[in-house]
Amino acid sequence: MAILQSIGRRVGKRFIASLPALLGVVVFTFLLMRVLPGDPATFFASGPNAGQEEIEELRRQLGLDRPIPEQLVRYLYDIATGHLGRSITTGQPVVRDLAERLPASLELSLCGLALALALALPLGIAAALRPGSLIDHGVRFVCTLGVCVPTFVSGLLLIYAFYVLLGVAPDPTGRIDIFAAPPPDITGFLLIDFLLVGDLAGWRAAASQLLLPAITMALFVLAPLARMTRASLMAVLGSDFIRTARSIGMTQWRVVIVYALRNALLPVLTIVGIVFSTMLGANVLVEKVFSWPGIGSYALDALVASDYAPVQGFVLLIAALFVVVNLTIDILYGIADPRVSIE
Amino acid sequence: MGLTRRQGLKAVLGSAVGGAISAALPGTANAQSRAETLRQVMGGTINTLDATTPGATREAFGAGMAIYDRLASFGRKQVDGVWTFDFDTIRGELADKIDRSADGRTFTFHLRQGAVWHDGTPVTAADVKWSLDRAVSAKSLSAAQMGTGSLTKPDQFRIVGDHAVEVTLDKPDRLALANLCTALAPMINSTLAKKNATAEDPWAQAWLKENTAAGGAYMIESHRPGQQTVLKRHDAWKGGADGKVPFFRRVIVQTVPEAATRANLLERGDADLSIDLQASDISALQGRGKIKLVAIPQTNGFTGIVFNTRMAPFDNAKVRQAIAAALPYDDMYKAALFGRGRTLFGADWSEAPSTAFPQKLPLRTDLARAKALLAEAGMANGFSTSFAFAAGAAAAAEPAAALIKEALAKIGVEVAIQKMPDAQMTTMEVERRLPFFIESGTAWLPAPDYFIRTYFSGDQRWNFSGYKNPELDSLVQAARFETDPAKYEAACKRMITIVAQEVPTLMLWQPNQDAVMAPTVDGFTYWFHRQVDYRDLRRA
Repeated sequence: MAILQSIGRRVGKRFIASLPALLGVVVFTFLLMRVLPGDPATFFASGPNAGQEEIEELRRQLGLDRPIPEQLVRYLYDIATGHLGRSITTGQPVVRDLAERLPASLELSLCGLALALALALPLGIAAALRPGSLIDHGVRFVCTLGVCVPTFVSGLLLIYAFYVLLGVAPDPTGRIDIFAAPPPDITGFLLIDFLLVGDLAGWRAAASQLLLPAITMALFVLAPLARMTRASLMAVLGSDFIRTARSIGMTQWRVVIVYALRNALLPVLTIVGIVFSTMLGANVLVEKVFSWPGIGSYALDALVASDYAPVQGFVLLIAALFVVVNLTIDILYGIADPRVSIE
Repeated sequence: MGLTRRQGLKAVLGSAVGGAISAALPGTANAQSRAETLRQVMGGTINTLDATTPGATREAFGAGMAIYDRLASFGRKQVDGVWTFDFDTIRGELADKIDRSADGRTFTFHLRQGAVWHDGTPVTAADVKWSLDRAVSAKSLSAAQMGTGSLTKPDQFRIVGDHAVEVTLDKPDRLALANLCTALAPMINSTLAKKNATAEDPWAQAWLKENTAAGGAYMIESHRPGQQTVLKRHDAWKGGADGKVPFFRRVIVQTVPEAATRANLLERGDADLSIDLQASDISALQGRGKIKLVAIPQTNGFTGIVFNTRMAPFDNAKVRQAIAAALPYDDMYKAALFGRGRTLFGADWSEAPSTAFPQKLPLRTDLARAKALLAEAGMANGFSTSFAFAAGAAAAAEPAAALIKEALAKIGVEVAIQKMPDAQMTTMEVERRLPFFIESGTAWLPAPDYFIRTYFSGDQRWNFSGYKNPELDSLVQAARFETDPAKYEAACKRMITIVAQEVPTLMLWQPNQDAVMAPTVDGFTYWFHRQVDYRDLRRA
């Protein structure tokens, strides 16, 4: 109970402390979008007879005819009341767009991260146990390759190999087969929703749809995770308590997994936090290649079109996610190493 | 439109039932429905279901054509083995008979008997009147478009019977009827729309962005902007040229942002149609022989090099002519388009031989002449300038820009190349701050006077070069109301000659519309809006 209370207190404090940062992000993005050359009204006023009048009308509808300070105050008021404006690119309210697309991005990033961890931890451990060996070099080679190949190249290669040539992967567009019925929208995570309604065939279809993009993302973030596991584990393996554990005749497995790994996890957790936040925002290319309806490709389209509202909404969302991810990582620190307590 | 939990459950139940049926009849049911389903993949987004919404994307115009009917429609014709729209034949769509008075000032539209909206209620003259009033009164894209056909105020539209509406013009505008065929003159179920109108929004513009009140060949089954839109056939539709419903029962229009993925889908046969693939992918696909390519020059469009005629040194016609004589047209065409299109350069005339526009213009490379002209303009030593293109057009514009830079260096003109994000480029264009750039345009109504009025006169954004010529301006204004064919022809030839001599814009070529489709898909037609009209298509 006391632990839960302390966690709750920590969460509350963190959220309050993050509010100024979020406000700063909002104001900064707001101003940045308006400083960028490129006027959404002129860009979208592309009707076959678009004249100055149409541009003015669009500007009025977007509220861009008002002075910038007034626009900012209105925007802050909108955020406070839960509105983020309307996207011209999709014609939908930004909140609805983001709510629909965030689960897609989260599902992809989480699966990618899980895959990456499942590969990176064993690889990192194997490399750390035999530094300089063939295994170590092999791991280094795989990691370097993963980092070097840009995600859109590896994505297209995977599509070409598994979809075009072999024909084993489903068509690489979106989260679900285009002719299939989507599950009811309960959580927005297809894998969970399909399980909830007990549609196993649907679950399998959604999972196979997810596999290629998740592998693409996992390959890209494999390197930092595996390298960090290796470095941190090597440092721990050289410390006194490991020597003691070995000297009292504990099994290798127990020494490495129970004692060394747990102590080596802190830096890995830090990297996991960073990697995950980056994956959420920077998986634009993967989303584009696989037509994944996520927030990254949404924000990029909006940015190219100078569509203010979605870009601002996206940045705010990512900032909020960063706060949540950092908080989660901090809590995980406490679990991994009870000596650490971050107030 | 998001799926609610209830709809989703229905869908699951539906698919379970459907699954049971198809299990009972192995294979047949699914194969049948796939054959009658068209899946188009595209890079863009349908951002509104009402094509008249300010800010509507081109894809939204295409969807609007399928969902809504108009009073009339252009015909289609086969030229060199491919179908294109025929601007010169106009047939009724929602109207089955159109009477035109002798003075050309009154049109009477007799509505098709038995025509119904998607909700099954009959189409009335009051609906048509409301739709036309909306087109000229609401703050939308329509008003400006309708204005080009002298349709400007509601009292021009009169109900003259249960099924007849009369349109009156002050002057016999040549393009009044053609304007009623465009995507910006949709006929709307006014009873339904009015139910969803509000005091601030009397024309239900907000509601119609996400909902439809239509009677066209297709209705919306589901719409997720930026992802996919599914259309299903309106089986009571009678507006087609032959009165039959279109072949495809279902059309899935899916946004697939990555061009290479679109190409893969077509190669595997999972998608049926795409009109926005990359040139390099198209030739690879063609080489493997699994798809059908229908390449149609975009006859109502052009790509051109624009001079800002309101900015020195391009305000001097001699400078523009000098540059026109210095460019390597043929090389540019091959490098930029790989020859996939129709050229607009290389003609040899001083007076326009015909009224067709765009037509081949007397643009040819002649370095000696270029140098002489530059000297005449007092710039024998050349000058420096910048040449801009939009990042979105880079595939064709980048190689062309490099050749332009190289060629102009030979006459002492130094060019700095600027590649700009699309939104920045349009903003700078509209503010007329770019001296020299490459742009493309299409005119929905390919009448020569309309084309020149749109692209070479006035202050609207499509007059890219900001060109002003009193003679041309008075010609375009007179031509639109000219009823004497001989006089109209003479005026058009004169306008084309002026454009060819003064070169505010060097019209280079008309790129192809490359429609890549499954070999079984037939009937693809090039339309003025440059989108797919699903009503034309069938599976052989």
